[in-house]
Amino acid sequence: MGKVIRDTFSVCPICLERVPARRVRTGDEVRLEKTCPVHGDFSVVVWRGKVDHDEWLGGAPAIAPGENEACPTACGLCGEHLQDTCCILLEVTSRCNLSCRFCFAGGGDAHDPTTDPPPGRIREWLSRVVRPGKSLVHLSGGEPTLRDDLPQLVAICKELGCKYVQVNTNGIRLARDEGYVKALAEAGLSFVFMQFDGTEDGIYEALRGRPLLATKKRAISNCALQNIGITLVPTLVPGVNTQNIGDILRYAVKSSPAVRGVHFQPVSFFGRIPAAPRDEDRFTLDELLLEIEEQAGELIGLENLAPSQCNHPFCGFHGDFVVMPSRLVPLTRRGATAPAGGAFAGAASGSNGCCCGSVQADRNREFIGRRWTRPRPDGAGHAACCGTGTDLGDMEYFLRRVKSHGFTVTAMAFQDAGNLDLERLRRCSLHVCDAGRLIPFCSYYLSAWQRA
Amino acid sequence: MEGDRTLICHRCKVKLVKAQTSFEYLGHSFHSDMLRCPRCGQVFIPEEIVKGRINEVEMMLEDK
Repeated sequence: MGKVIRDTFSVCPICLERVPARRVRTGDEVRLEKTCPVHGDFSVVVWRGKVDHDEWLGGAPAIAPGENEACPTACGLCGEHLQDTCCILLEVTSRCNLSCRFCFAGGGDAHDPTTDPPPGRIREWLSRVVRPGKSLVHLSGGEPTLRDDLPQLVAICKELGCKYVQVNTNGIRLARDEGYVKALAEAGLSFVFMQFDGTEDGIYEALRGRPLLATKKRAISNCALQNIGITLVPTLVPGVNTQNIGDILRYAVKSSPAVRGVHFQPVSFFGRIPAAPRDEDRFTLDELLLEIEEQAGELIGLENLAPSQCNHPFCGFHGDFVVMPSRLVPLTRRGATAPAGGAFAGAASGSNGCCCGSVQADRNREFIGRRWTRPRPDGAGHAACCGTGTDLGDMEYFLRRVKSHGFTVTAMAFQDAGNLDLERLRRCSLHVCDAGRLIPFCSYYLSAWQRA
Repeated sequence: MEGDRTLICHRCKVKLVKAQTSFEYLGHSFHSDMLRCPRCGQVFIPEEIVKGRINEVEMMLEDK
């Protein structure tokens, strides 16, 4: 018999009605259990105990009585949402040139370009949510590179004042159309998020329906030619590519500085899925942490991967590194926290840190913006970062090297109708722009499962 | 920056000289040349360095 460690709320996976839920610990494992008055009991594993659950959770508070009672139906954002926008995701097309087993957007159902929202409408939507000088927009889909006018959309984002513009892509067009990549760069594209499920073609055949490794490598190369940073994004599916985590990391580090990091996404069951998941189909965040240590322990230690602070700790982790000629130097140490305002200001004023939503979201956005953007290849910078110096203790060298060869290892564990936990959802900072409204990602893409 | 001015230590009344100075933040150690009194060791860090380079290092190291 398990022990209830936290009361929370979730949804019924069949009808998506809000229901009370509990996180229950049995041994090392933690499960999310809930009952729908119409559709019955549901239970899903959310933590397998590979890493200490309570330590990872830290002080993240439970939903107090009376809090977030309208979640998730009042999305847009509701007045009780606890986190500001770090990133805005905008679907610019429903078309896709792949038909993947798993697709959060259920993309590929549309084939007609006239179904794409016109640039004018996109401008209007974004103008309602972009904060000039600050916003980071993800242009997504479907497959956004199917739009010939994607460079124009990037330019619109920059005209509206977006500080960073990212494209989420499978990389197919980036691999075969160098002119297109150049046009994206000239329009002001900041960096690319590219689907990258592994270092073996069998993985792509299983998940994406065809071999794609050579395509991914060409996409990386073409982005490098235009000085566009690219982050590799594996969707991790047990039994398909979870044994490839170490090789993915080693490949990504070797591909620095073109590759800025790896962003792991354990498989989630929303949008298009092959079937409702069993426990063995899930890959929990703590399992991922352990696999990183076991498969790539020579590169990355667990102590260098810290729980998400901008979102809920169970939503993901981040690790910050610098690629040196013979090693990966960690900058993140779990538990090391900065005083407010930095070493000098904090010591002078004695003030406490501010952890309010907009400050944290801004900080998170600037962190990823700085890391994933490649510096301009001016003569002095290039010589300095690629010279023979290796002393990271030299302040000047450190600053140049971090900018040129910074590397992140991050993860985001999206939620689905089975494991949705409103204690997490209310802190989401990745917001989908839905005709000018902002909806937390896991709420926007939440989809009901078919009953067997 | 100080330009052509000569800076002296207020206590010792001697000219500050450039010396390698160590900094530590969040478990990381750095060194950079700063003006220091050769007698008492007092370090002078100009405001523009604090708000510039040092602030940048802090931002690079601070947690998300």
